[in-house]
Amino acid sequence: MVFGVVYVLIFGPRSEPALPPDRRSDLVIHYWEKWLGPEAEAMQVIVDDFNNSVGREKHIYVEMMSMSDIDQKTLVATAGGVPPDVAGLWDPMVVQLGSLGALEPLEDLAKAHGITDGFYKPVFWNACHFNGHLYSLVSTPAAVALFYNQRIFHEDAAKLRAAGLDPNRPPQTIDELDRYSDALTEFVTDAQGQRHVSRAGYMPMPPDYDWYVTSIPLWFGDNEWDSVTHRFTLTDPAVLQAFRWLESFPRKLGEDAVSEFSTSQGSFNSPQNAFVAGTLVMEMQGPWMANYIHHLRPSMDHDWAAAPFPSAVPGLTDVTYCPFDTLMIPRGCPHIPEAFEFIAFVNRQDEMEKLCMMHCKNSPLTNVSEYFLDHHPNPYIRVFEELSASPNAHMTMQCPVAQEAGGDLTAIVQGVLAMEIDPKIALEQAQVSLQAKYDEFEKNLKRRMRQ
Amino acid sequence: MTFTRGEIRNLFKGLAFLSPWLIGFSVFMLLPIVLSLYYSLSDYNLLQKPVFIGTENYRALASDGIFWHSLRVTLLYAAVSVPLGLFMSLGVALLLNVKLFAQPIFRTIIFLPSLVPTIAAAILWRWMFNQRLGIINGVLAPVLGWFHLPTPPWLDSSNWVVPSLALMSVWSAGNTVVIYLAGLQDVPRDLYEAAELDGAGPIRRLWNVTLPMISPVIFFNLIMAIIGILQVFDTPFMMTKGGPNRASYFYTYYLYDSAFTYLKMGYASAMAWIQLLLVLALTGIAFWSSKRWVYYQGK
Repeated sequence: MVFGVVYVLIFGPRSEPALPPDRRSDLVIHYWEKWLGPEAEAMQVIVDDFNNSVGREKHIYVEMMSMSDIDQKTLVATAGGVPPDVAGLWDPMVVQLGSLGALEPLEDLAKAHGITDGFYKPVFWNACHFNGHLYSLVSTPAAVALFYNQRIFHEDAAKLRAAGLDPNRPPQTIDELDRYSDALTEFVTDAQGQRHVSRAGYMPMPPDYDWYVTSIPLWFGDNEWDSVTHRFTLTDPAVLQAFRWLESFPRKLGEDAVSEFSTSQGSFNSPQNAFVAGTLVMEMQGPWMANYIHHLRPSMDHDWAAAPFPSAVPGLTDVTYCPFDTLMIPRGCPHIPEAFEFIAFVNRQDEMEKLCMMHCKNSPLTNVSEYFLDHHPNPYIRVFEELSASPNAHMTMQCPVAQEAGGDLTAIVQGVLAMEIDPKIALEQAQVSLQAKYDEFEKNLKRRMRQ
Repeated sequence: MTFTRGEIRNLFKGLAFLSPWLIGFSVFMLLPIVLSLYYSLSDYNLLQKPVFIGTENYRALASDGIFWHSLRVTLLYAAVSVPLGLFMSLGVALLLNVKLFAQPIFRTIIFLPSLVPTIAAAILWRWMFNQRLGIINGVLAPVLGWFHLPTPPWLDSSNWVVPSLALMSVWSAGNTVVIYLAGLQDVPRDLYEAAELDGAGPIRRLWNVTLPMISPVIFFNLIMAIIGILQVFDTPFMMTKGGPNRASYFYTYYLYDSAFTYLKMGYASAMAWIQLLLVLALTGIAFWSSKRWVYYQGK
């Protein structure tokens, strides 16, 4: 009897989702999504749109399941031969999973749906590809820009003018950003005589939100990976210059100032968020920040503005970093055309704009409606649209060992901001170790191809 | 040796009753152990078939700076945390063993932190360790200020993060205290009475009676601490993400990243086997040394 129970539990029938009575004969597409809370609710609206239109017509029913640790669950399910039909993952996984043959190539299906070169802004189209294959489409994109508190600019106009700066516009160069930051930074001395930053003009690593700081060399005119020569470029002078710039903050503000400031602020999604609370005047952020400001402190809605993050190189304008959320079909999916029907539906202009408005993000598509631009919850959405369409918009490092590179670079940034390591030595060491890891990956790939 | 029909029937009955455990052990323990040994000798990323590469993973580990760094961090943590935990727990157990008013309440209070989920404890301690707003520095600041010393940056400094985590690990030592208490209550009263008659004071009684009599319990707690500390993962994962500057990037954290973030399952398996050998070596040393300091009453 025990064996019988175990057998039934392991190999017995599985329950199917409770479908509406009129949809019980439809093909069910299992869609796993990383979003939880309001972002998942927004995506559910798009899923419902599909189920009530194209899905009804073609007898496809999408069941969305939002979950944490989706990358690991998708990985294990794919390895076990029971992947979801559609997985909502992150852009670095396009290359990581694509290079391991874990994703279904989508170029033929995309072409059949009219999704070709020119459909997306180039930065997103290129980032969806690896080794000549289209491995994903976008669910929602982003572009980062400078958010600045106009109210504080105006309140401290005298300070800014005394520093030779215009309080009516944001900084245009990195040098200006430093000068604005110096003029707006305030200190407080505690009872023990220790000095602390009470308000920062700019901080390179804002509390609880540090995932883009390693891409800072982009604003110094360089990248950390050369996807043509397949070599890391961490010892390039511009990369070193970028890390030296990060190092200038603890030098100016004090050895522990950056970490102390970061940890003494509240978490990102709280009213103690440094930018929302007014203890950070300028920061690099994505378009969604408008939503957080509106929900956490509606009275601040008209106090802030967004502009391109300034560059250190004269003439280099509209530089941005464009990460995005993806929809992929893992290898072994039994219903590829039907799964792609849903992905293509999400990428329809009307649905994409609806989703991006609900998520408060820019659109990845080349064509953007006036309605989207005029009614978007972020009043500066045109800034983000222009930035992501710019030739200086950059995608996530297209390198199979990008995750390891991200870990190494984050550690270097932390070490530099704590003044524990010299950027030059750390970057030289990382160059050697990361290149060795990439070379190892290539060697293993070639060995597999020979077998 | 021959079995009667009844004995064979009893053997099968016994095996049938054992079968849930036997099957569970074989499927969920033995098979993964054997497979992990094979994977440690393979290039395996979970998504493609493993390719046998001999000892290449082990050789790569030997030249991996992060591997050595994570090992160093873990051993440093163990060197601070194990003795600190053992002595603090023993001290608390000795205090709780004294007959006082409301003794059960004190025992409950000491045990309570062990019941707090790790995630809740991590959030609580993150705030307590906060350099500027935390309660610990709030108490220390006036004292240190008197000597013109700055407050420690705790989790925000590469130098302080490991001692901070070690300090935190002592907080949830309720289980160890309970085991010590059980050991202390097993010490025969007549030994204390005899020692008292011989004129032994409290320190002498502790040194010559209590500690030898509970040495098997100390030894048990030492072994459990070594095994547990070398696998520490959840606290740094939630509190520091291995930072700052990888100062709290423990061995198991790197193993986890290698397996599930970098998809290097073969490499991670090699790390797991080295970890097992390390645990075996350290517990082996502890067993070898126990001949000199552990006293078993029955022997």
